[in-house]
Amino acid sequence: MEPDVSIETSCMIRIAVLPVGTVPASVLRDYFSMFLRHHTIPLAAISSFYTEHQKSPFAHQPWDAGSIRFKFLLGGAPPSPWEDFQSNRKILAVIGICHCPSTPDLDSAVEQFTAACKNYSSALVQRCFAFCPCDSQLEDGGKKEDVLRLFPPADHQTLDIHLQTMMQEIAASLLMDFEKWVLKAESAGTILKTPLDSQASLSSEEVLKAKKRRLGRAQKTIGDYCLLAGSPVDASAHYSTALELARLTGDFFWYAGALEGSVCALLMDRVGHVDVVLEDEVKYQYNNVILHYRKSFIQDNAQRVSPLSFELEATLKLARFLCSGTDDTAFKSSYLCRSKLSKDVVELLTNAADGGKSLIDVNDRLVLFVEIARLFGTLGYQRKAAFFSRQVAQLYLQQDNKFAATSAMQVLAMTTKAYRVQSKASVSDPPCTKKQTGPSHTDSGKMHHHLIVSLFESQWSTLQMVVLREILLSAVRAGDPLTAWSAAARLLRQYYPLITPAGQNGLASALNNSAERLPSGTRSADPALPFVRLHSFPLHPSQMDIIKRSPAREDWWAGSAPSGPFIYTPFSKGEPNDNSKQELVWIVGEPVQVLVELANPCAFDLRVDSMYLTVHSGSFDAFPISVDLPPNSSKVITLSGIPTSVGPITIPGCTVHCFGVITEHHFRDVDNLLLGAAQGLVLSDPFRSCGSAKLRNLSVPSISVVPPLPLLVSHVVGGDGAIILYEGEIRDIWISLANAGTVPVEQAHISLSGKNQDSIISIPYETLKSVLPLKPGAEVILPLTLKAWQLGPMDFEIGGGRAATSGSTGRQFKNASVPTLLIHYAGPSTDSEDATIAKVSNLPPGRRLVLPLHVCVLPGMSLVKARLLSMEIPAHIGDGHPKPVHEEEDPASETVEESDRKMEKRLVKIDPYRGSWGLRFLELELSNPTDVVFEIGVSVQLDGTDDNNLPIDQDGNSEYGYPKTRIDRDYSARVLIPLEHFKLPVLDDSFFMREFCNEGSTSSSRSPSFSEKNTKAELNASIKSLISRIKVRWQSGRNSSGELNIKDAVHTALQTSVMDVLLPDPLTFGFRLTRDNSSPQQESGSKDSVLANDMAPMEVLVRNNTKEMIKMSLGISCRDVAGENCIEGGKSTVLWAGVLNGITMEVPPLQESKHSFSLYFLVPGEYTLVAAAVIEDANDVLRARAKTDSPDEPIYCRGPPFHVRVLGTA
Amino acid sequence: MIVCVAVVGHQSFTEADDALKLHHIVHCSLDVVDERVNNPKKSGPTLNETFLGLLYPTENYKVYGYLTNTKVKFILVTTDLDVRDVDVRNFFRRFHAAYVDAVSNPFHVPGKKITSRTFAERVSNIVKSFGLSST
Repeated sequence: MEPDVSIETSCMIRIAVLPVGTVPASVLRDYFSMFLRHHTIPLAAISSFYTEHQKSPFAHQPWDAGSIRFKFLLGGAPPSPWEDFQSNRKILAVIGICHCPSTPDLDSAVEQFTAACKNYSSALVQRCFAFCPCDSQLEDGGKKEDVLRLFPPADHQTLDIHLQTMMQEIAASLLMDFEKWVLKAESAGTILKTPLDSQASLSSEEVLKAKKRRLGRAQKTIGDYCLLAGSPVDASAHYSTALELARLTGDFFWYAGALEGSVCALLMDRVGHVDVVLEDEVKYQYNNVILHYRKSFIQDNAQRVSPLSFELEATLKLARFLCSGTDDTAFKSSYLCRSKLSKDVVELLTNAADGGKSLIDVNDRLVLFVEIARLFGTLGYQRKAAFFSRQVAQLYLQQDNKFAATSAMQVLAMTTKAYRVQSKASVSDPPCTKKQTGPSHTDSGKMHHHLIVSLFESQWSTLQMVVLREILLSAVRAGDPLTAWSAAARLLRQYYPLITPAGQNGLASALNNSAERLPSGTRSADPALPFVRLHSFPLHPSQMDIIKRSPAREDWWAGSAPSGPFIYTPFSKGEPNDNSKQELVWIVGEPVQVLVELANPCAFDLRVDSMYLTVHSGSFDAFPISVDLPPNSSKVITLSGIPTSVGPITIPGCTVHCFGVITEHHFRDVDNLLLGAAQGLVLSDPFRSCGSAKLRNLSVPSISVVPPLPLLVSHVVGGDGAIILYEGEIRDIWISLANAGTVPVEQAHISLSGKNQDSIISIPYETLKSVLPLKPGAEVILPLTLKAWQLGPMDFEIGGGRAATSGSTGRQFKNASVPTLLIHYAGPSTDSEDATIAKVSNLPPGRRLVLPLHVCVLPGMSLVKARLLSMEIPAHIGDGHPKPVHEEEDPASETVEESDRKMEKRLVKIDPYRGSWGLRFLELELSNPTDVVFEIGVSVQLDGTDDNNLPIDQDGNSEYGYPKTRIDRDYSARVLIPLEHFKLPVLDDSFFMREFCNEGSTSSSRSPSFSEKNTKAELNASIKSLISRIKVRWQSGRNSSGELNIKDAVHTALQTSVMDVLLPDPLTFGFRLTRDNSSPQQESGSKDSVLANDMAPMEVLVRNNTKEMIKMSLGISCRDVAGENCIEGGKSTVLWAGVLNGITMEVPPLQESKHSFSLYFLVPGEYTLVAAAVIEDANDVLRARAKTDSPDEPIYCRGPPFHVRVLGTA
Repeated sequence: MIVCVAVVGHQSFTEADDALKLHHIVHCSLDVVDERVNNPKKSGPTLNETFLGLLYPTENYKVYGYLTNTKVKFILVTTDLDVRDVDVRNFFRRFHAAYVDAVSNPFHVPGKKITSRTFAERVSNIVKSFGLSST
């Protein structure tokens, strides 16, 4: 069987084209393609070369319209045993191609050509064409005119014209030779045999029949030559004779042959005018042909030779005619006709395929399947074509040689389209790419459904895998490592769920083996593993946020900062920072990152030698990295690069060097795959099978690259680590800002955000302003003062938890709670060049530097408890009391005591003559849970305005410092703060004024709750002012110091008794001895003691602390050590002179009055004198102070006890 | 005997012995189906015809096709050489009903392979009864 047969094959003259000498393959191909253009030579064109020697046997030669056809066979062909039967099988001419530059010796070339021609005994014309001869060869070759035709060196077109002329000459010579041959055959008659009848016909034929048969065969052959000579009418005439004779003699084989020839003649005659009638005629005739070929089947020699191949060829010819014929005419596109025709063709081809099974020769079968596949392809039955192509490939693979394997590989490559496993290399411009690159990417999967189905027809995975495996096998056998690699890659990537781990390993080693044979740096269009999908585009590291600037607003930063706790605020809608979601801005020269996720769903370790982002525009420098992926794993990695030029940029995928070959992985492909997997159309989702979480559909932002912007880089001077502060610690830090960009910073603005903003005490706005513009490379240092905030209970928990897990110091660092410094800055607002046309659009964006202050607050000194203590130290009665009474009322400078602690001399004093009755202390219990030592210093700030009568004893500072207290680690200590300082000098209504106003009026009009509330507020305010004046500062080590926050604790401690602390009693009492200075006892004894059995004159001093006259009834009592009243009662040991009870006194406001009396102590010892008074006609102020409500209740004032030491006289 | 029944379209359900070969046959039959789909008959009575008839005979098999309104294709491959069209039509009608019931399962993902056991049983029943009625 022969490939590419058609009905017209019968009228084609076969010319063997042979390379002579050495002809490089590409050159040979080039020359051969030139020949192919001259496959049809019009008869009109050859008349100049044609000379009619005798009367031409081709009487009806159509000189004006007819043509001679050539069929060129490169490399020639061995003679066919069927040459006699079909003359077109003969090689009727031989053309040598000699490429002079590579074949210098023309003589040997001619020799070689002549030798080669000997193999073609049937050749009537022999020519050797020598192309591109040099001058010497031209000279030399001129002598061999007869065989060698030299083509002068010329361009392609000229050469073509030359060749055309040569071909016309050959056509003419052939035509003349045909004439000769026909004339000879007609006269002499030749014996024509086929392998079919060589034995059978010799013995048993009748002579007449044999002669007739011979005549018929001769007529048929003449008809063949007529066809070859381009004279269909003559051919028809001869064929009809031959048909008649063959029918008579029962020579079915030749009958069929003659019939074929006549159909060919019919078509040639009607060239270009095929219509339905003709088509039906051809179909009918050819069915006849097929029938007769079948009839000629002889059982005897079926083993050796069979007309089957002719039958099949005829079938194919008819099928091809029907296929191609249908396309010619428009009216046949209607369904009925087409369906009928294609049905016919399918039937023919199916029969041919069935018949092919009994073909003896494997090559015949190969040719048959190739032809069937081609015809199915022409018909549009791609799948059937693919099926037969696969059969062809299998036949090729049965032959165990490299070329067959290559052929198999190529044939299989053609089937890949039908099976949808084609290599991407063969898909030049898939239509789907355009559809999907657009904004539709974000759409739901609906739109791409059909695409996915067509891309991943998982239902045919069985077939697809078989095909790919066969391609791999044939490629390995053919020694084409790249195809093998690509097939293995496709197999592995698409069908890994269907391949056993062992099979996967096998494919991996196939990939590696193929790669070893490939030069390094080979690219393949088909990606293997891993699967790569886009994970995310990390927005700019917070340090590099980009904010759009609007030229209209000077403070473009306002509103762009995330202010407040809301992620979304309706007010920020439309602000530039919203856009960052869809648009990504990259900056020339600044590195960017893209996160991708890799998956290796296979059972082997995958090593990606290098991978980097692919950007086709070339305006991006990508940094490659290498990754190792263990079996069944996925990994998110960061790919980075630097944009190099301004403009939009797209990242379609990344380039991967894996298994020794460079491939490009498109994100879109994997997206489609995943979409397909989600819909159940694709075998499996590689990421999910690797245990990776489902990723939300990532919208790929449109990325644009903008020109360089300034870039501020910050670091904290002294290290970027967390600043560790104890609660309340105050520290200065310095932040260095450097411009790492290439553009100066011309605008800058600092703002705060985040939690604990108030912990930043001072912000250097001016420092920053003063250094602008900040040139590239310049640096500025901004000082900041921080005060560590108080840890809330939650912070403690977290800190504690951390400490428990980490086991370390318990330092806690919570990003959420740190304050953040926002620095908005921008470069020059316009380029200097186009300053005149400063448009909105080309205002370069500003940037935001988000600088979280990594402050780590450690629990420092903690206040365990605060409470109010009162201390009562009775005073001694003496006479040396130098101070005026009004000064006694202001004991601030002297009444400080700190228990169990050393005190400074000036602060220790307690006036023994005054005592400190009702002295109140604020006791702070502090504990030190840290591992450092704290020193506590308490200072009390006294308001000058309030305490105008305070002795400003030192350097005019109204702040009192107390000695430092040291608290060791893990210890707690108490600090006492005397509160006497705060006592008001005068009890008047100023404190209660509002209270009283309210009270007075509320009883009638206002609601009591309101007044209460008001009172409380007043009270709180006074407590607050009190507290704010007490400061507990601490210091630890050399450079950490801070202030303890005690407000809340103190507040609660003071809540109940603030009135007692702040307000003086309405009356204060004091005793003193009134003696003569000359008294000898006094000088000898202690001056503050009295002698027993002696009269001790005393006076009681009563001071009115209010602004109104107080009338009272004063009484004095004296008690001994046991507390017994010694003045009254039966066993009284003290005698007295003067009035002790019921003394009526009136004390003017802010004055004091005395009352003198004398005591006579009978027994030495300690005695206590107490003065008490009942205030008469008390006013509201007094009543309020005494916390009595009823106006009838007497107000009772009691003074502090005074001690009297009575010495014995002995 | 019916050797293969396949649902092709968004779905694929195959019941076969010599899987690969039948895969090929069914795959190839789609050429014919495609052709009929792409060149619909304009004539009235055949407008809504779902039965595609004999698609093509191959070696030992006859391939019949059926196309639902939603373009889901049913392919029947049989070794019986004399099959009455009525039987095949009947078969396809019952098979279609079974298919509709199977895909009406709310848990069935359109486009995915049908994994219902009931469907498989029902189909094998239909297949068996086809064998009975035809012989």
